[in-house]
Amino acid sequence: MPALHELQRAVYRSLVARDDDDATAYIRADGVAAAERLSIYRNTLYGTLINTLRLSYPAVHRLVGPEFFEAAAQKFIEGELPHGAYLDNYGAGFPDFLARFSPAASVPYLPDVARLEWAVSRGLHAPDATPLDLAALGAVGEGDHGRVRFVPHPSVSLLQASYPVDAIWRAVLEQDDAALGAIDLGDAPVWLLIQRLPTGIDVRRLSEPAWRCTSALCAGRPLEEAVELASGIDVSALLAEHLTAGRFIAFNITEPIAAAQALASVR
Amino acid sequence: MTVRSAEWMKRNSIPAQAGIGLRFQHHQAVAEARPDVAWLEVHTENYMGGGSPLAYLDAIRRDYPIALHGVGLSLGSAEGLDLGHLERIRQVVEHFGPGLVSEHLSWSVVGGVYLADLLPLPMTEEALTVVCRHVEQTQAYLKRQILIENPSSYLQYRHATIPEWEFIAAVAARTGCGILCDVNNIYVSSSNHGWDPSVYLAALPADAIGEIHLAGHTVRQLETGHTLRIDDHSARVAAEVWMLYEEALARFGARPTLIEWDNNIPPLAVLLDEAAHAAALLQTTKRADRARAA
Repeated sequence: MPALHELQRAVYRSLVARDDDDATAYIRADGVAAAERLSIYRNTLYGTLINTLRLSYPAVHRLVGPEFFEAAAQKFIEGELPHGAYLDNYGAGFPDFLARFSPAASVPYLPDVARLEWAVSRGLHAPDATPLDLAALGAVGEGDHGRVRFVPHPSVSLLQASYPVDAIWRAVLEQDDAALGAIDLGDAPVWLLIQRLPTGIDVRRLSEPAWRCTSALCAGRPLEEAVELASGIDVSALLAEHLTAGRFIAFNITEPIAAAQALASVR
Repeated sequence: MTVRSAEWMKRNSIPAQAGIGLRFQHHQAVAEARPDVAWLEVHTENYMGGGSPLAYLDAIRRDYPIALHGVGLSLGSAEGLDLGHLERIRQVVEHFGPGLVSEHLSWSVVGGVYLADLLPLPMTEEALTVVCRHVEQTQAYLKRQILIENPSSYLQYRHATIPEWEFIAAVAARTGCGILCDVNNIYVSSSNHGWDPSVYLAALPADAIGEIHLAGHTVRQLETGHTLRIDDHSARVAAEVWMLYEEALARFGARPTLIEWDNNIPPLAVLLDEAAHAAALLQTTKRADRARAA
């Protein structure tokens, strides 16, 4: 008689690796083969996860068609099952999988479209958070401005792509063949900011320096470092745009190195 | 921790009336039309993030008592509960203050991997101990009673020693949890395994039944001539299941009853029509109970 953990590992091997040997030995046939009984669960498992991926990657699904999508998703799932039951978190590795999946090589922009869709999906499901109170920021002394570090809204992400994936993504989801036909694949790279707004998901292009500066800010780098990446652009205007759009939810001020060291030695 | 008034608690308790499972497809219809249904139940896992699902449910719950139904806690995993998932459940519970919180008598997690289905447990003393430990752990963590739902299943293990109906009754007796009696699941499993659904119902402690589920299933004819019923929540409640529901009501009395529909989801009106049928049977039960009491 198998212990519970042995039985559960055997069922795992059956459902995922299709190794039915141990699991079928534990199951009563009763007129229906044990393997056929297990296959009902396997179908639900794969059906649920394929559906989860289809919801997160609707443009990829449209670009490659349902049959190709299911075959690709099946392969992906076999190699990368979810690590928890919160399935909105599942599928982060699908874009990289598509980049390695040779049958998809004829659509070179597919992995980048998938990366955008993952950022959109993360944006849609990210926790709610209240945007930064501008009055609090106004109270920071001018001498401290350079040392301000921001905390980005959890729905914000930044993506650089080698194809105009924002235009492809929009045209595919809107089923706008004219727009799709007019896309110049050479109109790239694109530097994108993705964010959930109260009205829905927002995908917009930034200039390369604005994107690099914004990436540094979202990574928690102090303002003075981010500014150095923003050559030739109006950083005040960029920052004002970010704040108005609610892209930051908090800030703090970096301790000067000497002070931080002094503090550390006291502790 | 949110402090809630006695009036709010009363308003949010789940009445012994008919409700429907609320899915994303019907968020807007329910928010706009405010249909005449006594309560709503949602899948806990669908509200673990922010954004529009949460905003819709925040608006809807002002007018309806809400129950939370989890599909992912995996109470039967030998390796223990996923504490991260339990904490996410706690946060959703704290946010909505649901009238009922339920999970399944099944397992889904092994080796830290989530197998995205409600997998059957062997009905053994070891599994009973594991499930009871996890139910107690969950109730202590959430600081409230949970209900556990009897599963539908397509296989039985050779080494099972306890009938499923005794197993679930024992979990309730040992942990003080309630039972979510899924009448469709009893019908499906009984049909698949040759059990007598009346025996199943009779073994369940009426006092522990906190909720009833109803859903549609499909019948699959196998090449061998055997039939398997598949619990896919993709159809109206079967006539035989309605009959078993009447038997359950006669046995347990009126209980909050939910119509679930998860695949090929129809217009809201179809769910409301199914709920109206359940509501009529609940009314009949209440009248009969009153007549008996008088």
